[in-house]
Amino acid sequence: MYTIKPITERVRKMREQYRETQPAICTSRYKLITEFYMANRDMIGSLKRAKNLHNILSHIAIRIDSGEVIVGAQSGTYRACALYPENSVAWLKEEVESGFISTRDIDPYILAEDDRDYILGTIDFWMQECMSAKADAQLLDEYKSIAGNGVTPFGPVGQAQAPVGHFCTGYNTAIRKGFAAIKTEAEAKMRALIDDALPGATMEQYHFYRSIAIVCDGIIIYAKRYAALAAEMAENERDPDRKAELISMAECLNHTVEQPARNFHEAVQCLFLYQTALCLDANMHGMSFGRVDQYLGDFYHADIESGRITPEYAQELMDLFYLKVAEMNKPWGYRQTMSAPGYTSGQLMTLGGLDKDGNDATNGVTYMMLQSAGRLLLHDPPQALRIHKNTPEALWEAAIETTKLAGGVPSFENDDVIIPALMSRGLSLEDARDYCLIGCVEPAGCGTEWPACGGVGTESFMNLAAALILAINDGHTAVPMLNGFVPAPLGSPNPRVGIKTGYLYEMTDIDQVKQAFRAQLEYFIKWHTMIINSFEYTARNVLPQPLVSATMAGCMESGKDVMWGGAKYNSTGNAGVGIGNVADALNIINHCCFQKNICTTREMYDAVMNNWEGYDDLRAYILNEAPHFGNGLPECDGYAEFVGKCFSDTVNALTGPRGRYSAGLYPVTINVAFGAATIATPDGRMKGEPLADGIAAPQGYDTNGPTALIRSVSVINQGDFPNGTLMNLKFHPTALKGADGWKKLSLLMQTYFDMGGMELQINVISTETLRDAQKNPEKHKDLVVRIAGFSSYFVELHPSGQADLIRRTELAM
Amino acid sequence: MSKQITGKLYDIQGFSVHDGPGIRLTLFLKGCPLRCPWCHSPESLAFHTELNWMGIKCIGIEKCGRCLGACPSGAISPGGKRPILGGGDEEIQLVTVDRKKCGNCSACADVCPTKALYMCGTDYTVDEMMQRVHRDKPFFEKSGGGITISGGECLCQPEFVLELLKRCKTEGIHTVVDTSGFVPWKTIESVLPYTDLFLYDIKGMDSALHKQVIGVPNELILENARKIADRGGKFQIRIPVLPMYTDSAEVFDAIGKFILTLGDAVQVVQILPYHNLGTAKWERLQTSAPVFAAEVPSENLIQARKKQLESMGLNVVVH
Repeated sequence: MYTIKPITERVRKMREQYRETQPAICTSRYKLITEFYMANRDMIGSLKRAKNLHNILSHIAIRIDSGEVIVGAQSGTYRACALYPENSVAWLKEEVESGFISTRDIDPYILAEDDRDYILGTIDFWMQECMSAKADAQLLDEYKSIAGNGVTPFGPVGQAQAPVGHFCTGYNTAIRKGFAAIKTEAEAKMRALIDDALPGATMEQYHFYRSIAIVCDGIIIYAKRYAALAAEMAENERDPDRKAELISMAECLNHTVEQPARNFHEAVQCLFLYQTALCLDANMHGMSFGRVDQYLGDFYHADIESGRITPEYAQELMDLFYLKVAEMNKPWGYRQTMSAPGYTSGQLMTLGGLDKDGNDATNGVTYMMLQSAGRLLLHDPPQALRIHKNTPEALWEAAIETTKLAGGVPSFENDDVIIPALMSRGLSLEDARDYCLIGCVEPAGCGTEWPACGGVGTESFMNLAAALILAINDGHTAVPMLNGFVPAPLGSPNPRVGIKTGYLYEMTDIDQVKQAFRAQLEYFIKWHTMIINSFEYTARNVLPQPLVSATMAGCMESGKDVMWGGAKYNSTGNAGVGIGNVADALNIINHCCFQKNICTTREMYDAVMNNWEGYDDLRAYILNEAPHFGNGLPECDGYAEFVGKCFSDTVNALTGPRGRYSAGLYPVTINVAFGAATIATPDGRMKGEPLADGIAAPQGYDTNGPTALIRSVSVINQGDFPNGTLMNLKFHPTALKGADGWKKLSLLMQTYFDMGGMELQINVISTETLRDAQKNPEKHKDLVVRIAGFSSYFVELHPSGQADLIRRTELAM
Repeated sequence: MSKQITGKLYDIQGFSVHDGPGIRLTLFLKGCPLRCPWCHSPESLAFHTELNWMGIKCIGIEKCGRCLGACPSGAISPGGKRPILGGGDEEIQLVTVDRKKCGNCSACADVCPTKALYMCGTDYTVDEMMQRVHRDKPFFEKSGGGITISGGECLCQPEFVLELLKRCKTEGIHTVVDTSGFVPWKTIESVLPYTDLFLYDIKGMDSALHKQVIGVPNELILENARKIADRGGKFQIRIPVLPMYTDSAEVFDAIGKFILTLGDAVQVVQILPYHNLGTAKWERLQTSAPVFAAEVPSENLIQARKKQLESMGLNVVVH
């Protein structure tokens, strides 16, 4: 029987502090970068970014809080967040000017008066200097007339509101090699190039290595600053135990980061300080830790064997490390926050799975990670557990017991489907076996790939339901502004933004509807891709990532930054949202219009365009009597396979400046925002209601339990989605009670994985609990729920997100 | 060649995890000779297809009211009110069904747009049933699960059950029969060779009290249990813990002693604490709420009973 051991007193106190501290904004980084950019307008490219980061790491406020052993921070005060004006500031200006940033209903931030004044006094500098403005300026003229089409989220402005992120760099290299060695290597490369008189286009390489040497120097300085602070605090410490601890922390920080880690503590510290430095360079946005148990396992077991550490202290270090990750956070504009609410930063950790030789890679740290997740109940870091045929029973049990407690942490990922899917986009067998998960559910090489999951530096989701509406409306938008993010500059109320595919009432069989959908979708996928490519064109010049490139496999060899395609592998993700609605809509159109003559195509068209007004009976029939996707009925489920294929065929065939595109099917919570901007759909959905979550059926339609739902979603060929799929199963606690509850759930998941399922996450929670939490948030401060690819405190969700979660079918009741 | 034997079901449940080993597909057959007052599936009692009504789905006679005109027997009339969903002060007028007049003809359910009125009880041929069973085969194979035929009292539809069991055994699918045991021995005897496990309720040892509470005496039930054990059948014995009826140490002692007489035939004893989640279902039939309405037994009491049986050497689980 799996048990959760109690946390130590200081961990308890720190956790309490974490839950009770409201996030604030810290301008320490903002001031440093503003001063640097204003003073160095002459600098360009990687040199500018490297020197800027060096300046930040040398001067950013540092602190070691009471009880901390693992150190590093973005800001001078606890749970305060840095700002990243070089990405996008239009939202910041608006929300700071109005004060909305501190009063908004999701993720508000405290902002001090003098900080507010400083921001407003300098922000106009950034209005043109930021990445977003530069990307807007480069936007293709041809796109501007169709911006606001509703299928792609891009408007005519605001291209880079979500910053560059979603990758896992070479943490293992950082831990085992140290930055002094990387710096030496970069300097040797520079000397060699100089000796060769910088032939051909090697000037780019020279500046790349130059940027590497600068940031290596910067991060070493950063670690030494912390070492000095720890030593100074040790001097003044009266408690002999804490004094000794501070001294050992100083020793650790004087060595690790610069030199290869020698023990578990140094390895964890290097991992976290590197992450902190990365986050000081670029806005943390799905910067994922990768296979943490694989980096740390050897150190842990060696320390235990030699008696250097006790399992209890190692576990406490892990807890302290997790609390540090949870503290980190990024302020976003309100609209972006809607798509990933709950102060989350998506610093996903991967555990378990196969090693490079195909053996089970579980080690002691794998269990420690689950233990920390289960006993701390933090919303961050999220965890993804890799599953394969030989995953140990004990790990299954620990993971499922953890997921019951921690609201969907970990998610479960199927090695048997993901490894071949990654090989299909070019990874070697060895590197594919060494994959990790990024952001939410996106598989990628661990320290070997620049995957730009979900797009590079911009949200990359596509609204599949909107494509269906255009398909049955001859390419005309059905609402004046069909854009969830930015008002589109549309002249007439219903302009044509798509291609001509005819109207539903002109179609005589379901194949015509399907072909119309495919045509619209292909058209918009191509536009979507072009906009991302346009963004990359701009971003590689403005935001190179030298500190990432220092450890990412391939960069040092090729002499190229990750943004320039230097990584060993490259791809770009694109995720479709609402496959369940489109699949079910096609099913319903076929059933009602072409098979059972429940209504004519004209009636269906009018019903949808009029939000079902005057068509109550038709909608009631669809809701209560028609067969739906999600119930294991082959005649309905086939449409999901079709929709999936339309998306993956087109996405996977396209390329960007660095390499292939990669299709995914996951929404985070953008299915709510997309749904809010989408008119009624033939599956019975009303205008404004959320789209279906992940690859699941529309909310409430899967009435035949999890086995049926699993059979339905298994018709989607998930191997065609190397950017990940998301499947959320929600269980009432009674469904999994009993000593063998975990076992049966694991067998259900294994069957899904045998059937080709890629990812699964579990919510074990009752709707009564959720409703009560809506009414009495004070009583449920600790209720963690899995939203999509991440977990959140339920009480911190937007009311519409809360309602969506409650609506999702309660399975197995 | 296949005779079109049909069975009447009121529900089918996938991923059933407490009705036998592995992941199971549980088929709920309609009709039961017992009248346990705590029954949480009142729709399982009648043997015929019958009208159910779910007030939450009714959109009110102001907007709809089609059932009023559709009923040939005048059984439907305006009933209580409830607020409209989604807040607001507005109320809608619901309907009520006079069960004495209702002939379960389904005329109202046919016209009900939201299926607030719906017919409970669907006939399946054995072929149709097997099609459904086949869909869950991957889950059975992975988990060592299979089908559980439950009810109601499934053995009141013996031909259907027997045929279904035979077909499953031919295909190597694990079979469980969930029975009250209150059926003729020859029925049990016929299904015994095709039944891997019986879920078998023992709801008290005092026959007079048994009759008083449940409506039937228990001799036949206990005798059938002994015979199943004698013929090599296997059991998962279920004891419902009902406040003031089966929750005492004395009752458990008596039941435990009886279970011991069944010897190795008993694989596990399952304690089923009383719950009241089925209360809403009684409203759907618009019959009076169950006679039995009690507090849910405490976790302490359940654990005490579990320990009690374990001390007698039994293998016990709580669900």
